Amino acid sequence: MDTAREVRTARRAGGLKKLKKKTKIKGQVDRSLIFIVLFLIVFGLIMIYSASAYSAVRSGKESNYYLMSQLRATLLGLVAMAWLSTWDYHKFRVIAWPAYVVSLVLIALVLTPLGMTINGARRWLNLGLSLQPAEVAKVGMIIFFSAYVYGNLKNIQHLKGIIKTMALVALPSLMVYGITDNLSSAIIIFSIVYIMLFIASPKSAPYIVIAGVLFLMAAFVVYVIAHNIIPAELSYRLGRIKAWLDPEAYASDRGFQTLQALYSIGSGGVLGKGLGQSTQKLGFVPEAQNDMIFSIICEELGMFGALAVILLFIMLIYHLLMIATNAQDLFGSLLVTGVMTHFALQVILNIAVVTNTLPNTGITLPFISYGGSSSVFLLTEIGIALSVSRSIRMT
Amino acid sequence: MQKKLVVLFFMVLLAFAYLIIRRAGINRDNGEAYKKQVLAQQSYDSTTLPFKRGSIEDRNGTVLAYSEKVYNLIVDAKLLSVDKGVHIEPTLDILKKSFAELDIDEIRSYVEKNPGASYKKYLKRIESSRVENYNKFMEETIAANNERRDSLRKDGKTEEADAVYDPAKNGIWFEEEYKRKYPYNTLACDVIGFVQTGNEGQYGLEEYYNSILNGTNGRSYGYLNADGTLTRSVKEAEDGYTLITSLDTNIQSIAEKHINEFAEQNRNAYRTGPAADNVGVIIMNPNNGEIYAMAGYPVYNLNEPQNMEGVDLTQYAGLLSKEDLAEAVGVSANSISENEIDLMELVTNESLSDNAVIKNAVWKNYCIADTYEPGSTMKPFTVAAALDAASITGNEVYTCNGALDVGGHTIHCHNRFGDGPLSVKEGVAKSCNVVLMDIAFALGKQEWLRYNRNFGFGEYTGIDLAGETSGASNVFTEKMGQTDLAVASFGQGFNVSMIQMAAGYGALVNGGKYYEPHLVTRILNSEGAIVKEYEPRRIKQVISEGVSAEIREDCKAVVMSEPEECTGWTARPAGYSMGGKTGTAEKLPRSAKNYLISFMGFVPADQPEVICYVVIDHPNHPDQSNSTRLATLLCKSIMTEVLPYLNIFPTEPITEKEREELTDAEASFFIGSNAVSDNSVSENSAEEEGGEASGQTGEEGEAAGEDNAMVPVDEMYTPNVIQYDPGTGFPLDPNTGEVLDPDTLQPIDENVKSDLEY
Repeated sequence: MDTAREVRTARRAGGLKKLKKKTKIKGQVDRSLIFIVLFLIVFGLIMIYSASAYSAVRSGKESNYYLMSQLRATLLGLVAMAWLSTWDYHKFRVIAWPAYVVSLVLIALVLTPLGMTINGARRWLNLGLSLQPAEVAKVGMIIFFSAYVYGNLKNIQHLKGIIKTMALVALPSLMVYGITDNLSSAIIIFSIVYIMLFIASPKSAPYIVIAGVLFLMAAFVVYVIAHNIIPAELSYRLGRIKAWLDPEAYASDRGFQTLQALYSIGSGGVLGKGLGQSTQKLGFVPEAQNDMIFSIICEELGMFGALAVILLFIMLIYHLLMIATNAQDLFGSLLVTGVMTHFALQVILNIAVVTNTLPNTGITLPFISYGGSSSVFLLTEIGIALSVSRSIRMT
Repeated sequence: MQKKLVVLFFMVLLAFAYLIIRRAGINRDNGEAYKKQVLAQQSYDSTTLPFKRGSIEDRNGTVLAYSEKVYNLIVDAKLLSVDKGVHIEPTLDILKKSFAELDIDEIRSYVEKNPGASYKKYLKRIESSRVENYNKFMEETIAANNERRDSLRKDGKTEEADAVYDPAKNGIWFEEEYKRKYPYNTLACDVIGFVQTGNEGQYGLEEYYNSILNGTNGRSYGYLNADGTLTRSVKEAEDGYTLITSLDTNIQSIAEKHINEFAEQNRNAYRTGPAADNVGVIIMNPNNGEIYAMAGYPVYNLNEPQNMEGVDLTQYAGLLSKEDLAEAVGVSANSISENEIDLMELVTNESLSDNAVIKNAVWKNYCIADTYEPGSTMKPFTVAAALDAASITGNEVYTCNGALDVGGHTIHCHNRFGDGPLSVKEGVAKSCNVVLMDIAFALGKQEWLRYNRNFGFGEYTGIDLAGETSGASNVFTEKMGQTDLAVASFGQGFNVSMIQMAAGYGALVNGGKYYEPHLVTRILNSEGAIVKEYEPRRIKQVISEGVSAEIREDCKAVVMSEPEECTGWTARPAGYSMGGKTGTAEKLPRSAKNYLISFMGFVPADQPEVICYVVIDHPNHPDQSNSTRLATLLCKSIMTEVLPYLNIFPTEPITEKEREELTDAEASFFIGSNAVSDNSVSENSAEEEGGEASGQTGEEGEAAGEDNAMVPVDEMYTPNVIQYDPGTGFPLDPNTGEVLDPDTLQPIDENVKSDLEY
């Protein structure tokens, strides 16, 4: 890609940062980031094996069934990461619209016979490999909105532009929610874009006000449910709020998973029972290798292990922050901001759910929870961040 | 923009900090509880091995209560649903064949709806024989199927072989449990008590010895070891201890049989209703405090204590308030007052059978849990105290004019015309109140109280049964006045319980030694080794040997004197010398003219080996004050049967008339059979007699109308001397001269007789 065209593009977009001179990308990728990610992946694989071996055998599979399946996805993801990290990240601007459209199409495809139901939820596509379109959409939206915001910096300072942007993100969010019945992914997609807008915008107040209003609305819903003003039986999500407020009262149904996760956390103590020694994974914490894997980490490795994992994620996010703040231009910054927001949100929401700080909703812990699509596309995002990091000029 | 990113990062850090605090909070607040919860959950593969509650046996080893292993049928839907449910139908077929009462369709739908559930109880408390049948059937099926599977494998038809039903995986198993059983149903129900659920004894021995009868549950743990294989560890259950009691099933049966006869014969005799409000009988050994029998009326089935079908409940109707009673019989309370309906006429057993108050009354043991004014049976105690305290010599002669003025009240004798001059012995024999009052005055208040307490009145006797009452609030204290002392001398104005009376009488006639009444003699562990042995507990010497001998003489005069000279001759079992004392206590309120009649008898009169105390509360009799014969006759009929059984030899001549009666009675004797009556009487009833200790008596002074049965002349005793065989001391048949067995009074075969000679 020639520099002149890039400069033109940047000017046309009214970019604040101008490419002053011909850039030759020859910076180093962020090796610490790679190391942290690899560490998390290996740790995740160990934990998946520990958490899933029993239930795999119980359901008639090989004990390493989940491990191997995750390993394949991870290798695929690592290849994608390595390949994307060699890209000049400006190329992502070119594929912005295609990424947006492909995301929407994939989500829509769930409605076709290609759609696949796992554990009672129709969220997957069967394309030889199983693929969760919501995960694709997360990457797609990060790429698309980085480019879109970068190209409409003036517009997004006006209400009209903001509304237009919001409408663009509302469409995939609503599709994820409406078609795949996946509220948490919808919220994550919306939140990522919302925070990217907030970062890019010179103003802060309106965003904070809107966030505050949304928070109050959520609090209102919780209040209404807690005081039985609206019967929680209306939807299973409202029921989950009930179970969240008082898991013991729903110990045998909706609160079961949460409560069992709390039992594992509580029983782990400070140093844990030792790797592989969890008893809660023996059929008590449902899907222990999935959303609730953090509880097994707590049980086996204790407070210590939990802190170590959280610290690793903080380091990961810190590195992404460094890349975002030092990126060559706003586009790069926005890309990495999106990735960073995505990671931060998933980690925070997952741990919040496991510790019953938030109502139960299916959010995986990046790199550690079992899940092929998630793993591949999270590594893809790391690849994007690495490609941005490569453009940082060493001073 | 960079600023915003940094702010965002710090918000992320804050969120993490909050989550770390949350996470640490879970550890701090619930760590211990959750640790336990996790361990508790692991017990999913641990089963409780229930202990066996110890049994209760009588003195001859007859088992009165035991626990039998029974099984609950459990369906493990999770296990049953494996292999895509191929096991479900064959298993249900087998279940259907073995347990016809199961609702197979219901099990099928349950398994389909709950494929993850592993515990559902379907049948409770199945007999072990049925489980054995099922297991046998299963073994055969398994063997047959294994054969088929093997042969299919040989032929290389692996898939077909896999499809052969393996009942070993069928998810049906049996949970062990123990069920309490009482083989004699109603026998000694008030003494034994019962267990309904959870090895928790209620009433009687079951409650008193609950912790001794119970053992400790064992447990079978399953856990995953380091290799992930299931390992089992078993901690065996410790069975409970067995109680050997002094009860004698035969004596208890005899007592219950005669109580039941009494209840049947006297029902509706005078007024509509039961024979009496309460009937109680205690038979015990005065020389060690062991209880042979303790019975009441009505009895209930210990195996189904809640089921009051067939139990005579009408005597308890008075326990209910008018409103409750009206509701029970289904009459509106208003209509009673308007139409003056007599509720008692309407009361039926069915109308009372669900009432909790009534049930508790049935379960209660009248002999230990209720108190009453004893009446004249108290007189020997007064005389004994006066003799022992040397207040009288025993040679005094008192004059009875039919009444005595005490503190402004005129207290009458039952014989209002007076008996004239009476010795102490005659006073007791004729149950003269005036003589007793004079003796009590000679004794004085302090001494009377001292002896009264020494004989255990107002205190727990310490009998090993749940629910004993001391009656401490209804005995006289130092505050008693002269009038109180006067009526107390013949057993009015204060309350006693049957067991207090019986234990006190034991001391009175056995030489003055007070033994704690007791039921359990030995405690055995599950292997039959003795864990504890109860020696007779001699608590105190209440009166001297000499005084006791005099009292025996006095009491003998009550029964053995000429009928016109005594009150208790109707209690005499043919051929035996008996001592005793009648009692006819006037109940509160005095104006109701209701009586509690009683008789205390001991045999032989000179050296008592057994005492029998009979109480009939509010007899259904037109002239209650003269109905004491009901108690003496009940005592006689019981003792006539019990004495030969206890190998107590008759020493007295038997009249022709007695012979006939005896032959009639023998026809219904229990001895030699293990037959057990399934009827008897139980406990208390109306507490119409609260028993405010002092202050009553007063002008209606006939406080203790006394006995003196009115017997038609033709029933009168006619002397007929019986000859005894000089060799054996056995009686001779007056007509044939044959030697008779003293137990059965049947002619003894000559061969047998020669064996008996010594």
